[in-house]
Amino acid sequence: MTCQDVQASISLYLYGELDFAREEHLENHLAECAFCQLTLAREKQWHTLANAHVLEPPLDLLAQCRQQLRPALARETAHPPSRRSWWRWTNLFDISATRWSAQIALASMLLFIGFASARWFDRGSDRGSLQSGAAQMSLLNPASARIRDIQANGPGTVRIVLDQESEITGRIDDANVRSLLFAGTRQPDPGVRFYSVEILTQQDGAQTAKDLREMLFNTVRNDPNPAVRLEALEGLRHFSGDPSALETLRFVLEHDDNPGVRSQAVNQLVPIDGSVTVTPAMAQVIADVMRSAPEDEYVRGRCSQALREAKLPLTY
Amino acid sequence: MPGALERTTETDLVRAAQRGDPGAFDELVRAHDHNVLRMAYNLLHSEEDARDIYQEAFLRVHRNLPKFRLDSSFSTWLYRIVANLCLDHLRKRKVRHEEGSTFQAESGQVDRLQFIPEHRPDVDPQRRFESAEVNSRIQEVLGDLSPRERVVFEMRHFQGMRLRAIGQALGVTEEAAKNCLFRATQKMRAALGDFV
Repeated sequence: MTCQDVQASISLYLYGELDFAREEHLENHLAECAFCQLTLAREKQWHTLANAHVLEPPLDLLAQCRQQLRPALARETAHPPSRRSWWRWTNLFDISATRWSAQIALASMLLFIGFASARWFDRGSDRGSLQSGAAQMSLLNPASARIRDIQANGPGTVRIVLDQESEITGRIDDANVRSLLFAGTRQPDPGVRFYSVEILTQQDGAQTAKDLREMLFNTVRNDPNPAVRLEALEGLRHFSGDPSALETLRFVLEHDDNPGVRSQAVNQLVPIDGSVTVTPAMAQVIADVMRSAPEDEYVRGRCSQALREAKLPLTY
Repeated sequence: MPGALERTTETDLVRAAQRGDPGAFDELVRAHDHNVLRMAYNLLHSEEDARDIYQEAFLRVHRNLPKFRLDSSFSTWLYRIVANLCLDHLRKRKVRHEEGSTFQAESGQVDRLQFIPEHRPDVDPQRRFESAEVNSRIQEVLGDLSPRERVVFEMRHFQGMRLRAIGQALGVTEEAAKNCLFRATQKMRAALGDFV
């Protein structure tokens, strides 16, 4: 077992999740390797720090929960949740949902209602320009409407720009869906940005997509949220041979203020499992980073380890 | 926690509860509810949300118990329900906003840092400052984990569940749970690296 193997397995070792043989190899290695002993000590330390964070629910909360569960169970036993409420309508027509003929009749009725109402609303829209604002408002629910902008629009009138609540479901490789996902990476909500990046980078053929490449470089460098930057960094793995990706990793290591992001960047630059051969360009970046990030012990440690293992001089 | 009851006893209790014995259902609840509440509270940092998860989880158990075929242990089934409820909550929250350093308790806004034990902070202000720094870093990195990483980390690190049980609870392979834990520990290690 090598030092890289130990680094990759150390947490699982502490959790007791390694199989017997692997645990045996790791312990044999630990017995002889001072570097890995230090790593283990540090690993134990952060486990201890994290343990101090565990919260115990307030004492009375459990009692309250138990107290509230009883009447809730009693209510549910007395009135079990019924099927969807619209289905109860069928009782009015004495339709049994278990009969296929009745199901077809019900489906036809719903289809007819849908068709007829679409025709009705379509006719209404021909007269849309004549409708009063109040009439249009009746279609909206002011409590749930999201207002993007409000402007005075001449005497007595106002222009209100609403964010329409609408939903789209489609294939990720569809051009329209894809462009919406790219738009998602620029939204103010970090959750939306995170999932947009995650979904885009998990697609087949991601490694050849130029638009994705540009978006990732930009997100890694500029997104204000570290979780989004980490996700974009993950995506950069698709472009690991690309010189611009190397430059982006250098940028992160030199300028990102989040230690988690920097650590992920260094692990991508020189993977713990030793799966990447250190090229001269990489060695230069590593040496530069060691010069410019003297305070980040983890990054420096990984960099110097990579140079040692590649048998390159420590040029910092 | 899984394994809190002997398997046979638990199976007997489940069968009795399925036959409509309220005492057996009550016993199942009491065997697990403290850990359910603790997990929800630690993941969501809100008394109100933890209370909702508690109630919804046991209502679902009660509702679906007649259909439960004992093809997994009761605790695995229960934790699947709890984990999915927490995941839904975290995903919605992650989309809505990032978590702050305070949470809503019945008594009002509470800073979660106050729950962290201090070692004679009055004597050593430097230590108190560092402890607050550590906790703020832990909050930051926990908030940055994906909902699934967060749940896996909580179940393994704080609840002490085995990865196999976590995989079963989340409906993923043990390997997938292991990968999630690996990513979470990488991020924790990186974030706390400056303090160890």
